[in-house]
Amino acid sequence: MTATDDRATTGRYDPESTLRLRVPAPRGPHLAPGYTFDEITRADWVLGRVPDRGWSAAPSPRRTLVSRALLACLLLAQAVLSLRLHNSAFEDEALYVYAGHAMIDHLFHGAPDYGGFDTYFSGSPALYPVLAAWVDSAAGLTGVRLMSLAFMLGATGLLYSLTRTLFNERAALLAAGIFAVTQSTLFLGNFATYDAMSLSLLALTAWLLVRNATGHWALPLAVAPVAALAVGVKYASALYLPTLALLLMLVAYRRLGTREAVRRGAVFTAGTVLLLGIALLSTDYLQAIQSTTTERAHGTTSVGLLVRDSVRWGGLLSLLACLGTVLYTRRPGLGEIPGHRPPPAPPRGWRIALGTVLTGTALLAPAYQIHLQTSISLHKHIGYGLLFAAPMAGVGLSRLMGAHLRFPQAVIAVGVLALTFGMSQSAQNYGVWPDTGRLIPELAKNVRPGQKWLGQPHEGPVYYLSDRGLTDYTLWTSIFYIDYAGRKGRHLSGPEGYRAAIQDGYFDGIVLDWSDQPGDIQTLIRQEMRSTGRYRLASALTYRTSVGSGHFEIWLRLPAAHTS
Amino acid sequence: MTAVGRRAALRWALASVAASAGCAPSRTAPIGAGGEGGERRTAPYVPFDVTWLIRPRQGRKYLGVSFGGASVTPGYLDLWSRKAGKAPNLLAQRFSWGEEFPADRVTAVWRQRILPYLAWEPRGRTLREIAAGVDDGHVRRTAEAVRDLNVPVALAFAPGMNERGLPWGPRAASAGEFVAAWRHLHDLFQDTGVSNVVWTWSPTVTARPAVPLEPYWPGDAYADWLGLTGRYGTDGPRTYDGLFGPVVKEARAFTRAPVLVAGTAAPAGGRKAAVVKDLTRAVTTRDDVVGFVWVDATDRTDWRIDSSTGALDAFRRGVADPRFGFDVRRP
Repeated sequence: MTATDDRATTGRYDPESTLRLRVPAPRGPHLAPGYTFDEITRADWVLGRVPDRGWSAAPSPRRTLVSRALLACLLLAQAVLSLRLHNSAFEDEALYVYAGHAMIDHLFHGAPDYGGFDTYFSGSPALYPVLAAWVDSAAGLTGVRLMSLAFMLGATGLLYSLTRTLFNERAALLAAGIFAVTQSTLFLGNFATYDAMSLSLLALTAWLLVRNATGHWALPLAVAPVAALAVGVKYASALYLPTLALLLMLVAYRRLGTREAVRRGAVFTAGTVLLLGIALLSTDYLQAIQSTTTERAHGTTSVGLLVRDSVRWGGLLSLLACLGTVLYTRRPGLGEIPGHRPPPAPPRGWRIALGTVLTGTALLAPAYQIHLQTSISLHKHIGYGLLFAAPMAGVGLSRLMGAHLRFPQAVIAVGVLALTFGMSQSAQNYGVWPDTGRLIPELAKNVRPGQKWLGQPHEGPVYYLSDRGLTDYTLWTSIFYIDYAGRKGRHLSGPEGYRAAIQDGYFDGIVLDWSDQPGDIQTLIRQEMRSTGRYRLASALTYRTSVGSGHFEIWLRLPAAHTS
Repeated sequence: MTAVGRRAALRWALASVAASAGCAPSRTAPIGAGGEGGERRTAPYVPFDVTWLIRPRQGRKYLGVSFGGASVTPGYLDLWSRKAGKAPNLLAQRFSWGEEFPADRVTAVWRQRILPYLAWEPRGRTLREIAAGVDDGHVRRTAEAVRDLNVPVALAFAPGMNERGLPWGPRAASAGEFVAAWRHLHDLFQDTGVSNVVWTWSPTVTARPAVPLEPYWPGDAYADWLGLTGRYGTDGPRTYDGLFGPVVKEARAFTRAPVLVAGTAAPAGGRKAAVVKDLTRAVTTRDDVVGFVWVDATDRTDWRIDSSTGALDAFRRGVADPRFGFDVRRP
């Protein structure tokens, strides 16, 4: 092409043609696949020459490298945003790690099992707590939280790989990106409970199933232990087993047909159920599973509030997943390479089924919690469903952006929104419990080995103070349960138990968390301490949380000479 | 590395430093992300522990002074310290109901290593109204001010509640109303997160006619000191046992709280030196007495320590005991 021609095609400034009404270029005979928006361009504009490698549909090292580099950036951002969260041990974290130490002593050193953790934990106390305690011995709570971060980064990585297998790199990166900045992901990445481990095991199960769906029919049996482990780590993960089985069947169906898909689904389900059955029969976790998961006590949170929270925390991703499902149902093609003949598109029914299964899973946790009318841990549980809905959200975002990254502004806007929501909501949820950073040193001044204490919070103090040899779990009574046997021949529980124990000066000290809305038992304990005169407030440590303020109170028993 | 490469590396290094600085928690970062949110925090993180001040260790005693409840300049206090031969470690002042908490005055006292003691007189409000919560806003503001100041304060609410002449005395309010008002005040302070107050229950031992004190006692969880006040006369009791003994004996029937002689003095005269000598001896020898406050004022008579050379010498000799005047800032 000569210099003159070049000027003619790229458009030299010409006042007449510049001011002329622009007419869209006539549509070519071959519309690029995945090309959903009509393009308005200057009449005299043509696409420049594109290097061949940019259009290759074949897998190439360059594409893999670029995708993985972008994924690494996403994981780095996720890690930084998770590590930005800062607070002392939440009561569950402290309890699980402490329980893990007790379980290690029990399992490996023959100490008596005094905790009874298997009766009220929502996951097996012999799995995550033991692992957490082991990490805690080496690297403290920070180490345990870093382990959670590793699990969540693993989950994001597996989500990427899973989505790439189901769709393509772009959808996978977008899915990983939107999942990485949701508040549940950021929160769980710095939170030492079962959830991160269980969620990453679910992601691993899904990944293994999708990767091996078209392999030998018995392969899903090898994945069953991973699924069973996920359920063992946290019982509520069982809610997602049907999704995993359906996903396996859908992926198998596409290549192998109905018979093989059902066969694989049945094998996986049977294997998992068998393993869980064996685990259930060989342990006595059934009561705990019933009380914490299947027959959990109903709360009093209003449906409106639960819906509002669900929308706040998972609404954006779910909406994108719905969009992805609709757009994917309408048009299967995701490629944009002119002239490339893509493999035959999956049937419409399959596309609807895949979109519905994945997107619908996001609704499981909110629906179950609305049924129970409890908001406890909803901000964590919602993340499980979002993991499954994320691939469809990735497709939705990819379609929103259009072919050739034509409309990046829409995705940038959604991304900024997701990032803002994720950062602010994760910080708020991480700041809900009061920081015990100042309370523990104050308690350490007063708690002496062998002393009996009552209080809320007590998990944090037990965790931090037992490390210094000042106390242990058996010396603390919670404000939820008391069995006071201090009076001859009588076991007192509930309010009567607390009242009698305080009147008798049974406890050496009492810790209370006094906020604007104290519970009945806290009010009763405080009133009893004031009226009996056996205790004096030694220290009130004010705190602020992301949702309000309050103060911790440390009450000490008055020395005998001071009482009447 | 080429010049371009070096420049790129430098740019990346600067960018990573800037990114790290951006991620580092700042004070205004949200609560939960290492900050304290946008709102400024005024309350202390760790409150001053007053429990050891209630019963000072190793039998140490408070040497307190009151200039008729008025506030004084540091210079005036120094003058008194030179006269007494020892600096006081407790200063009693008056704090009127409805007045904003005198944070500056209290801080100035504390800076001189003196425990501020405030006699909170509920003038202009009945005890019944206070108990009913009419002035809860004022009480809460005061509680917040005390909490945020984070220095120990001894607070004597409605001192002399058994004196008929006072607006909150037995003629104006019943013992039940006094206890209700006290508990209401105390509970509001605790609800606000205040733990740096030493609650001083302060009857007058010379009140006539004497009323039973037990109905006035709000409870061991509500009061820390028996802050007994009473001045010696030109006749009548001339010893600690004579003046305070009967009331201490009566109080021991319902509490074992330590005694602070929260305001006493002897009139100018021949027996002043003997009174002072007996008082300081009684305070130092009794385990359940934590100190005394001398009312260094002149009204009808000269109550000051230096009303005569003999009295001053007796005072100086009495308070020279090393147990008097300990550092209230260190346990």
